[in-house]
This record gives sequence, structure tokens and C-alpha cells, in this order.
Amino acid sequence: MRTGLNRTFAAVLVVSAVLIGCALGLIFLVAPEEKVMGAVQKIFYFHVPIAAMTFLSVFLLLAGGAGYLWTRRAIWDHLAVAASEVGLLFCTLVLITGPIWAKPAWGVWWTWEAKLTTTLILWLLLAGCLLARRYAATPEQGARIGAVLGIVAALDVPIVYKAVDWWRGQHPIVFGPGKTNPLAPGMSEAFGVSMLAVLTLYLVLLIARIRLSSLEERIAELEDASGRFR
Amino acid sequence: MKSYAFLFWGYLVVWIGLVGYLASLGRRMTALARRIERLENRREA
Repeated sequence: MRTGLNRTFAAVLVVSAVLIGCALGLIFLVAPEEKVMGAVQKIFYFHVPIAAMTFLSVFLLLAGGAGYLWTRRAIWDHLAVAASEVGLLFCTLVLITGPIWAKPAWGVWWTWEAKLTTTLILWLLLAGCLLARRYAATPEQGARIGAVLGIVAALDVPIVYKAVDWWRGQHPIVFGPGKTNPLAPGMSEAFGVSMLAVLTLYLVLLIARIRLSSLEERIAELEDASGRFR
Repeated sequence: MKSYAFLFWGYLVVWIGLVGYLASLGRRMTALARRIERLENRREA
């Protein structure tokens, strides 16, 4: 049975698991508790890297969508499908971990402030990309609509990023232009390792999802061929 | 604010989401690889 995933993939998966273990150790054993928020602030070490990977996913979706519209080559579409599916998962986790922090910090699970609302719009656009593919009349039409929606989703990313600057809101800004590193010693290391851990896990999921699309394409080819010679 | 319960649920959701998706990808890939093998064998026969 050949899934086509080689030893390098397995190695990245192992590295990712080790990094996740290190990150959890640093978060709970080394990083100090934040003075105002206490323990609940520790959700930040995964919430922020997951949000960063959501953005990365949308940029890859933009590249995949634009590449497909330009060349009509399946590999670009595989990238777009993988980026929208993995991106939707990461965006969902952002929208779950955010309220888990917001409830104790703000007293509410959700508020219709700019950053949260634009992130929800991003989630809807990513879900739309996948739904368009599923319900399109042909796979080519689905790929085209998915690519266009992916480009629209990419336009939302800078709006999500700048939402607090443009419209003000309750969402904290920890990093950004003109900001000095606000993390105490111990926090920076935990955050850096968490970022690396989430990045490697993201790459594992993305590569696996691209490979899945290739397998689906191969099946379509084989079924097409067997239909022709029947 | 002091409770770790919120954190516990937050981390649980993250890991169930990520590991569950990875497992589902693995399962889907294995199923597709088996189907490809069957189709190739049928073609060769």
C-alpha cells in the first residue's frame, strides 16, 4: 500500500511531536504567569501561532488559486484545496481558543468587535471555498470558484491584521510595528518554540493534504481509463 | 481568572482538532492507496 509519504515526512512529523512536547514543557514549567490575567494567558502560546498559520494558509491559497487560474495545472489546485482545508481547521481553532481566553479576560465569550468579526468573515470565506468545490457542477468549475474565493479571502487577511489599528477594539496587540517585545524572559522562549511546533505540524498537515489530492487525481485517471477500455 | 479549567479545555480542543484531522487524513490516504492498488491490479489483469 503506497500513500506516497516518505521518510522525510515521517521525520518532520516526529520533529513536530518533539517540538510540541518541548513547547508544552516550556509553557507550563518555565514561562512565568502573566501578572494580570494569570494562567489563562497561557492560551496565547498556541492561539497566536495558530492564527499566524491561518494567515500563511490564506497566502498559500492565494498562490494556489492564482497559479491555477493562470496555468490550469492541477498541482496549483491541490495546493489551493490543501490550504483552504487546513486553513479552515486552523481558523476554527483560532475562533475556539479566542473565546476560551475572552470569557475569563473580558467576561464574554464573543463580542462583535472588528478583529473578531473580520476573522469570522475569513472563516466563512474559507468554508465557502470548500463548499463551492463540493457543490460545483464540475471539478473544473469548483476549482475556478474556489480560486476566486481564495483570492477574496486573501484580501481579508490584511484587514484582520490591521482591524484593531483601524477601528480600535478590545483585542490586545502584542506584536506589531513600533512595539517592543513585551514578553518576559521565559515567555519569549515558550512562544518561539510553540511557533516552531505549530509551523512544523502545519507543514505536516499541508503536505499530507496535498498528497491526498494527488491520490484522488490518480484514482480519477484510473477510473477514467478503466471506463474507456471496458 | 485563576482556574486552569479554561486552559485545559482550550488545549484539549486544539489537540483534538489537530490530531483528529491528521488521523482522518491518514485514514483517507490509506483508503485511497488501497483503491489505487485494486484499480491497478484490475487493469493489469
